[in-house]
Amino acid sequence: MGSSPSSTPVYLPNTNQQRVKVLIAGPFGIGKTTMIQTLSEIPSLHTEEVMTDAAADIDELSVTDKKTTTVAIDFGRLTLSQGRIVLYLFGTPGQRRFKPLWSDYARGALGALVIVDTRRLADSFEVMDLIEESGLDYAVAVNQFPDSPAHDEETLRLKLDLEDHTPLVICDARDWDSSLNTLRALAAHLVSRSGGSR
Amino acid sequence: MSPGPARRLVPSYLATGGVNAPEHSALEELTALTATGRSALPHHTPAHQRLLDLVSDGGLTVMEIAGYLRLPVGVVKMLAAQLVSDGHLRAAAPLPDALAPRTNAGRPSRALLEEVMHGLLAL
Repeated sequence: MGSSPSSTPVYLPNTNQQRVKVLIAGPFGIGKTTMIQTLSEIPSLHTEEVMTDAAADIDELSVTDKKTTTVAIDFGRLTLSQGRIVLYLFGTPGQRRFKPLWSDYARGALGALVIVDTRRLADSFEVMDLIEESGLDYAVAVNQFPDSPAHDEETLRLKLDLEDHTPLVICDARDWDSSLNTLRALAAHLVSRSGGSR
Repeated sequence: MSPGPARRLVPSYLATGGVNAPEHSALEELTALTATGRSALPHHTPAHQRLLDLVSDGGLTVMEIAGYLRLPVGVVKMLAAQLVSDGHLRAAAPLPDALAPRTNAGRPSRALLEEVMHGLLAL
């Protein structure tokens, strides 16, 4: 009876470790899922969250059927420090219309990695705005596709309107070392931001 | 004896005066849940049972349970809140109090961030 779980569960070694998350954010098709699959030590999972369009509730009688949107949140996990920490990677969509959901996932996050594609930089502006509004510190990962135009770092920073301290890392979301490097850059940035001027 | 409320939502033996059951909102995406081994009660639905079965051999976070059971996170939180309050699930908060974000104006502590950084460097 009842449907069986979608795959064999990979249990936590115990439940005493610190469980934290970072967001991997960006528009559809930018490489969030790929990076999570590359980095996660368990087969990546996803949940489907149903969001009711906020405007539909306000609009009362003029709306005949509720507008709902399903948003898939991909995630994976990575065990660190001999099991003392489990780091979760949450792939979060970048559209403003998902803001209520977005705020939920941003709460308690250590920080965010924003993925951009030089062929469509502007597609990531919305998510960068959302992150800045949420107050999360972030790093930018440029996911290189074979036909991505090469920009020098200065031009990219200018186009993305990045602050000087925000890390900008070129990566290949399919590659473990490269993806791990972006996470390391983010973590180092978060440490430097947490201690004030130090 | 005065008549009680129309319908009890928890078994009478668990209605402990003065002790609050864990609030639904206390369960976060990264709260870890493990079954305590008690058998299901009559008011538990097949969905409650599936959740208990999933974590009978080990702990998983609310988020992971939602993924494996293909349920929205909000639904898992509601099911789990009932099971925690009935004593069928044990819940472990994502961070020990000393490192909880609220102790640092909503931000993760530097010690925690450093440990994550060193952990990533050691991979």
